[in-house]
Amino acid sequence: MSQTEFIEKGNSLWQDAFYRLKKNKLAMFGFVFVSIVILLAIITPLIAPYSYQEQNLILGAVPPNGDHWFGTDTLGRDLLTRVLYGGRISLMVGFVATFVSLVIGVLWGTIAGFLGGKVDSVMMRIVDIMFSLPFILFVIMLMVVFGRNIFLIFIAIGAVEWLPMARIVRSQVVNLRKQEFVEACFSLGFSKRRIILKHLILNVLGQIIIYTSLTIPSVMLFESFLSYLGLGIQPPMSSWGSLISSGVETMEEFPWLFLFPGVVFTLTLFSLNFLGDGLRDALDPRASKD
Amino acid sequence: MLKYSIKRLLESLPVLLIVVIISFTLMKVAPGGPFDSEKTAPIEVQKEIAKMYKLDQPVYIQFKDYLFNVLKGDLGVSYKYPGRTVNELIAKGLPITFELGFYALSYAILIGVLFGVIAAIRKNTMLDYIPMSTAMIGVCVPSLLMGPSLVLVFSLWMGWLPVSGWDTWQHKLLPSLTLGSAYAAYIARITRGGMLDVLVQDYIRTARAKGVAEKWIIIRHSLKGALTTVVAYLGPAVAGLLTGSFVVEKIFQIPGMGRYYIQAAFNRDYTMIMGMTIMFSFLLITFNYIADVLAIAMNPKLSFENKK
Repeated sequence: MSQTEFIEKGNSLWQDAFYRLKKNKLAMFGFVFVSIVILLAIITPLIAPYSYQEQNLILGAVPPNGDHWFGTDTLGRDLLTRVLYGGRISLMVGFVATFVSLVIGVLWGTIAGFLGGKVDSVMMRIVDIMFSLPFILFVIMLMVVFGRNIFLIFIAIGAVEWLPMARIVRSQVVNLRKQEFVEACFSLGFSKRRIILKHLILNVLGQIIIYTSLTIPSVMLFESFLSYLGLGIQPPMSSWGSLISSGVETMEEFPWLFLFPGVVFTLTLFSLNFLGDGLRDALDPRASKD
Repeated sequence: MLKYSIKRLLESLPVLLIVVIISFTLMKVAPGGPFDSEKTAPIEVQKEIAKMYKLDQPVYIQFKDYLFNVLKGDLGVSYKYPGRTVNELIAKGLPITFELGFYALSYAILIGVLFGVIAAIRKNTMLDYIPMSTAMIGVCVPSLLMGPSLVLVFSLWMGWLPVSGWDTWQHKLLPSLTLGSAYAAYIARITRGGMLDVLVQDYIRTARAKGVAEKWIIIRHSLKGALTTVVAYLGPAVAGLLTGSFVVEKIFQIPGMGRYYIQAAFNRDYTMIMGMTIMFSFLLITFNYIADVLAIAMNPKLSFENKK
């Protein structure tokens, strides 16, 4: 019975994709884990057992126990609280910087692909040139010149990560541009704005989602590099990268200070990558190599 | 082929100029002069210093001088440590960073291609699943986690290998593994993908029909096609290795370029940063160029696609 209904109703491409995603166990694990981490990051101020900068020098570094599930650091700060707050920062950098790169990349790629011709080749040439620059060095230079603040990190990372997005969107738009439905839009006299927003970008949305979900973990990784080198998030704020960084210094005596943030960070990266891979298989079945 | 490589070479040169312009501009707009610590010195002394470093000249003259010096291969002197030149630091640090990068990349290519090929020809068996899930781990575990973990296990707990430094092969093992693993994993994945693409092609079927031995089909017929994607990936990989080596050099306290760069960044030693950025950009652009030309040489079809 339900079988026939299923056939009669037919499925939209999005429903098909969602169905495929639901069957992918690793991707679903990633989805659930990421959702939990995001939820915890949002409600951190409500659930954090201690304050993230409250020091207790008499206590010092103690291993995990009933009061402090993840133990405390050398200044007696509760590690669980610091990991929760660090997650807030890491995720925020991941999402905001990805969003910045998403906006720039999609606009750049769409405009280049839509206008075509000279404009296209100049715009894509700029992307090629920027691709061959050693960006980490420029990000470090920006940090040196303008001081280390978190907004600069967003902008700097966003400015690096938009390049592949621009390429992907552009090549998709170039292909779509040739198709009849776009011709039809033109002959119906739709405005360019409407064609770009409603017909082109909407059709590239799948690719955009896939690539966005894979950009977030790479941004978080980049932020952790910067923080590890001492050029990212500054104390008393902390991100997972800076927690790992300070944990490494004392890992021989107090290994938990390094292990807990490290494991949480790695699991989150895993989940985001699984989810991204799963989305690619679901939204773009032809691209998967199996 | 030759035409392409020359065209590509000519295209690379302006990029270097852009690098010089960007870094020069950034350093000029930086708040605070390079000699802020000398604020207390009398005006005459400050002027004397400014003159010595030609800071009293108009900006465009400074830029012109700098550009010509760079072209001559002179990257300037440190503002923080008088008498120390950028070239000196590069001569000290670069060979070490190079060596580290070379070991890491060789290991990545060797392991990556080997396991990628095995996974492709034994698709959907344990020989496919195990290396590929390990590769997934390799891609995800950041080096700033893998490095310290390896140190914790092999150096601190087992006591087999030294914790840090850059002297004997024992010192070099863990840093190279840490730096190379992510790339080994990635190369394994793209090798597998490339092999799977190639193995279903008609010419492979023809080779099989002719009775070519399976090992020759893999080595001579498939691998070449599959490796073009790997070669094309080498350009970006070298750029990534550079970033990675900064972190790895810090973890293992290796006296390479990364260490000097970070030091210069903390000291706000502008000329140092500028000089090293230009040097790194030059290297990266060169590697990108080599990788691109190699990819075309291996797969001439690509040059047609580029023209389109």
